[in-house]
Amino acid sequence: MPARKITVEFNDKVVRQFLLASVIWGAVGMLVGVLIAAQLRYWQLNFDLPWLTFGRLRPLHTNALIFAFVGNMMFAGVYYSTQRLVKARLASDFLSQLHFWGWQAIIVAAAITLPLGFSRGKEYAELIWPINIAVALIWVVFAVNFFWTLARRREPTLYVGIWFYIATIITVAMLYIVNHLSIPTGLLHSYPLFGGVQGALVQWWYGHNAVAFFLTTPILGIMYYFVPKAAERPVYSYRLSVIHFWSLVFVYIWAGPHHLLNTALPDWLQTLGMTFSLMLWAPSWAGMLNGLLTIRGAWDKLRTDPVLKFFAVAVTFYGMSTFEGPLLSIKAVSALAHYTDWIVGHVHSGTLGWNGFMAAGMIYWLLPRLWNRPLHSLALANLHFWLGLVGILLYTAAMWTSGITQGVMLNATAEGGTVLAYSNFIETVTTIRPMMLMRLIGGGLYLVGWFLLIYNLWKTVAGAQAVNGSIEVFDDAGEIRADEKLSLVGTFLSPPVAFSILAVGFSCAWMFGNDFLSIAGLVALMLCVVAAYAHFESRGKKWASWWDRLLVNTAPFTILVVIAVAAGGLVQIIPTVLVHRAANVEDRRQIPYTPLELAGRDLYVSEGCHNCHSQMIRTLVPDVLRYGDYSRLGESIYDYPFQWGSKRTGPDLARVGQKYPNIWHYRHMENPRSVSAGSTMPNYPWLLTKATDTAALPGKISAQRMLGVPYPAWSPAEVFADVDAQAKAIADDLRAAGAAVAPDRQIVALIAYLQKLGKFETVAPAKAAAR
Amino acid sequence: MFRRLIFEDSAALFTLVAFITAVSIFVSISWRAIRMKRPQLAHSEQLPFAIPTPAARHDTDTTA
Repeated sequence: MPARKITVEFNDKVVRQFLLASVIWGAVGMLVGVLIAAQLRYWQLNFDLPWLTFGRLRPLHTNALIFAFVGNMMFAGVYYSTQRLVKARLASDFLSQLHFWGWQAIIVAAAITLPLGFSRGKEYAELIWPINIAVALIWVVFAVNFFWTLARRREPTLYVGIWFYIATIITVAMLYIVNHLSIPTGLLHSYPLFGGVQGALVQWWYGHNAVAFFLTTPILGIMYYFVPKAAERPVYSYRLSVIHFWSLVFVYIWAGPHHLLNTALPDWLQTLGMTFSLMLWAPSWAGMLNGLLTIRGAWDKLRTDPVLKFFAVAVTFYGMSTFEGPLLSIKAVSALAHYTDWIVGHVHSGTLGWNGFMAAGMIYWLLPRLWNRPLHSLALANLHFWLGLVGILLYTAAMWTSGITQGVMLNATAEGGTVLAYSNFIETVTTIRPMMLMRLIGGGLYLVGWFLLIYNLWKTVAGAQAVNGSIEVFDDAGEIRADEKLSLVGTFLSPPVAFSILAVGFSCAWMFGNDFLSIAGLVALMLCVVAAYAHFESRGKKWASWWDRLLVNTAPFTILVVIAVAAGGLVQIIPTVLVHRAANVEDRRQIPYTPLELAGRDLYVSEGCHNCHSQMIRTLVPDVLRYGDYSRLGESIYDYPFQWGSKRTGPDLARVGQKYPNIWHYRHMENPRSVSAGSTMPNYPWLLTKATDTAALPGKISAQRMLGVPYPAWSPAEVFADVDAQAKAIADDLRAAGAAVAPDRQIVALIAYLQKLGKFETVAPAKAAAR
Repeated sequence: MFRRLIFEDSAALFTLVAFITAVSIFVSISWRAIRMKRPQLAHSEQLPFAIPTPAARHDTDTTA
């Protein structure tokens, strides 16, 4: 039967919905960002209100911009470009709407719960477990809608942009689910499955790759579609884009440990993270050059076209921030930069420059086409560009200056490295104050630019007729020829995959086997390599045809992406989870928290203290001089979640226990400036008046026991008795020092926790070796 | 003496093997990309233009 020509109308309604949501949530997230930047300069802007403090709003800012702003922008770009690249309407209107409204409901839930202090205490993974389940479900809806659309496509070849989308969907699902595995203790609270060093590794495997696969790979897919469209010429080198994709997808996933350099993380993992981070230079710059060179011959359009201006600068920022990232991953550089504003500047050059400007360029390109009306004002779009660019430059310059100043001051020693040059942490806080103001101005300019986009959008679409794109296409255009089909079995039996699997298996035998198995594995590995070479030489066509078929077969392609992204995580996580348990640690092991201390710790997590205070003294002389003996792996082995932190706006707290009397902490939380002049920490007056939730403690302790914390099998009565005794002792001590407070107040529990920090039991080496 | 340290001696092999694996994959993919046929490349890189896109004002108006 001859092929019919049919008209396909794209589902651009959902594209418009996601685009508008991105614009609105972007404004909200940026507004919160400007507020918390102001709080770092003017602590009074915390207003002594729990839901407006920095520790609670910072997660709102990051989540809003990652998941609400970039997330919605990504969905708009993915749905718009995919439909056109595969010449098919989105598979299901219902799933598209479920995806949109489900995602917005998640954002609203996050916007309510985070300021209320419901947090899991892990960066970019703060949302409570019911919301996490919703995220996973809606992500599955997205995946089904996307892959179903690919299955109905009328273009056999999968464009490289689609590859990036596939990698995004698969990898984000894997990362999100593993890092959010938790044991609930109630509707709004849970403990993560991984704690201590394992939690740190899994968290930054997720955290780093949230940047990689949520903020980068989908935007690269969008770049590979929209930059050629805007420049009206194909991508500079399709070959380079192929290399870019596979090397980026394979290498990125390994780099997470670079967030934990010089910490208690095992050294081999730190080396692995650093090595792979340095290797990322190559694929990242391949992508940047490919993007920028796509504009070759069209540079003159930058004078008049704001879209290309935004894209050109966005891709440049992609290159700059992916140059800076590996640089910061060098151990020696990390020693200076980690925990400082330099990292904040690096992240913002990526999000404001790369993500924000790609979003702006895409939005300005889409507006006239989705509403069939010229953009209201090119002049305003150009003004937005310049305000945004100056804003980013001010922001990053301020953060570089501030970060390097902090790093230099905090690491400076005198008298042959035996004493600190700046012994009082507050000296750095007061030194960088002008930079905090400059950051605020930079962020403010960027926000003003975004408001111009909103005004321009409003004037463009108000009263305009929304239009859906359509094409005429033969209904059998997407059929794959019989000789191009690749079954799932065929995927694994193909020579490249089969030889690779064998090589990995023999490598494992070589590395982990006993004497005979190890030698056999090594010999088999060498034979395998020789056999693969011989096969390639004699049957080279089979290898080539496999590759060609891979380019038009979605399922095998997706499976190989899964293997590529899973490899790095498995190599790092499995040994860490299996070996670095409490039973195996040497030297020092954490003493489990008492019930009251655990309640205090939950308050610490809830208030987001880790946003400003680390609990990890690095293996560096200045850290040890300032905070005490370096942190051992075992000293946080029972911490669910770990609280090593990633930023020191205030000092490290790993050994703050018993450093000050109880009354000092009381006064400090009531008004930090009363005991630490020049502090920018918010007041926490509500801790003095609100009661601690002790009723939940028996359930929480049961959950901790399930996680492996060696608590006795206490009855609830025993738990409450223990709480009462410890709380009374602290309250009595406070009263004697002049502060009358009831034992059941939150401040008492928090003091109990803070005074515990740094306590450990010594594990004799012989005992560890005997296990 | 310490279990963790003993383990790490062998675990350090991961770094080496991982690096070799990554380089192998990088070389293989680069080889396949370089060997892609010209018509295949031309078809792929033209996919974003397979569907005509309506022009916006600033795409064509060079006097703005």
